[in-house]
Amino acid sequence: MLSDVIVELKNVWKKYSIRDMFHRSLREDFINIFRGNKCDLKEDEFWALKNINISLGERECVGLYGPNGSGKTTILKLISSVTYPTRGEVTVKGRVAPLIAVGAGFHPDLTGRENIYMNGTIIGMTLKEIREHMAEIIEFSELEKFIDMPVKKYSSGMYLKLGFSIAIHSSAEILLIDEILAVSDESFQKKCIGKIKDIKSNKAMVVVSHNRALMEQIVDRIIFLEEGEIKNLHLVINK
Amino acid sequence: MQIAKRLYLYKDLFRVFVWREFTIRYRQSIIGVLWAIIQPLSMMALFTFIFSYVLKLKVADYPHTIFFYSGLLPWIFFSSSLNYSIPSLTNHYDLITKIYFPREILPLSGISVAFIDYVIASLIFAIILAAYKIHITWNVVWLIPLFILLLFFTIAVSLFLSSVNVYYRDVKLATGFLIQAWFFASPVMYSIDQLNVKFKLILFLNPLTFIIENMRRCVIEGRSVVLWQFVLVGIIITIFYLLSYKFFIKTERDFADVI
Repeated sequence: MLSDVIVELKNVWKKYSIRDMFHRSLREDFINIFRGNKCDLKEDEFWALKNINISLGERECVGLYGPNGSGKTTILKLISSVTYPTRGEVTVKGRVAPLIAVGAGFHPDLTGRENIYMNGTIIGMTLKEIREHMAEIIEFSELEKFIDMPVKKYSSGMYLKLGFSIAIHSSAEILLIDEILAVSDESFQKKCIGKIKDIKSNKAMVVVSHNRALMEQIVDRIIFLEEGEIKNLHLVINK
Repeated sequence: MQIAKRLYLYKDLFRVFVWREFTIRYRQSIIGVLWAIIQPLSMMALFTFIFSYVLKLKVADYPHTIFFYSGLLPWIFFSSSLNYSIPSLTNHYDLITKIYFPREILPLSGISVAFIDYVIASLIFAIILAAYKIHITWNVVWLIPLFILLLFFTIAVSLFLSSVNVYYRDVKLATGFLIQAWFFASPVMYSIDQLNVKFKLILFLNPLTFIIENMRRCVIEGRSVVLWQFVLVGIIITIFYLLSYKFFIKTERDFADVI
């Protein structure tokens, strides 16, 4: 495990507000600009992450495990720069392909094939890459027959298959996989896990799942999270 | 040109977004792209009817149809850009909370679709001009720099309002009213020529006044643009654009948390 660090979270804190945006007032926003004190916790705010330190090697696969609301998805969002830490530092060297919610950006009126372009570019593939991998993606998804049908007519399982097939062909160095293995049928799930194991050798991965057994099949180590804190440091799975 | 640098890495995504907006809009529609010219043409017909037959007013020395159409072209580009771009960020809630990409792609792809419509509608304008045998001079080339001003002004307004809309949905609710009010403040169905200086100055606070008036002049009347006026408006629009883009970049970081 002596590879270079590709993702690093250093003393990361992330604050969220419980409040609905519709109740916030201009006056308060205005005062906040001048106060600028980001580290005080107001009564309706909470820490989603508290002092998180994680570093991920170039070809390492880490699992995040913990109950709902323990901050797993927030960590993925920080790595993919969807959101930024309140305190601390997040360093990412390389392209990130987030598989947070497979099929993000699928448009119901577009066909499966058109959505491959849509979703592929959204997760950072170039059009050239997509064209090169088009046949593979369709084959992996097992949707050859339905690929020119609008995805609004797809079942949720088909949605997922297509989404996963696109994501797995991404050329990004870092893959973020959020709870996407649990939903499809068993044979496809096996195929996905097999594929993940294949590409593991040249990618860094962060996997989030509630399925511990499934996770242990894939990852090198598991980080346990509880209420935004790392509980049990880095259970290493020897393989 | 920070925007170009940011977009370059994501140019394929941008292309796909524009393509998607464009195809989706006309999917399951019978006349498809013809919608792009129906709006300006029908508005032109309505205005011509009202001013020539109902109010019996003379708004220009040349046919009313081309007078209105020439004003409607830039106006419809501006207003439909706003209509697409203002809700564009909040409509893509699912993407913004899950995946990073330069967020300005969303409002900009709306503007690009409005641009495609503008080009199509402009071709019709060329046909209309030919039908009326309007004498075109070299000053028509002024259309290009004038359109660039219009484009940057539109981008600036769109980026600012779409970003504020992420925080306060009031913007979206106000869009209809805002566009309507802006329409009357722009010389689409009137010309500022007959107004006195005081009103002219007030109307020139709206950059669209300068743009629309001059677009009309350089095409239909074959007159050129007063250079110092162009430079002045150009500077104002550039400053506004830079501020608005800076505001967008600054607020963008929080979009996923507040949307």
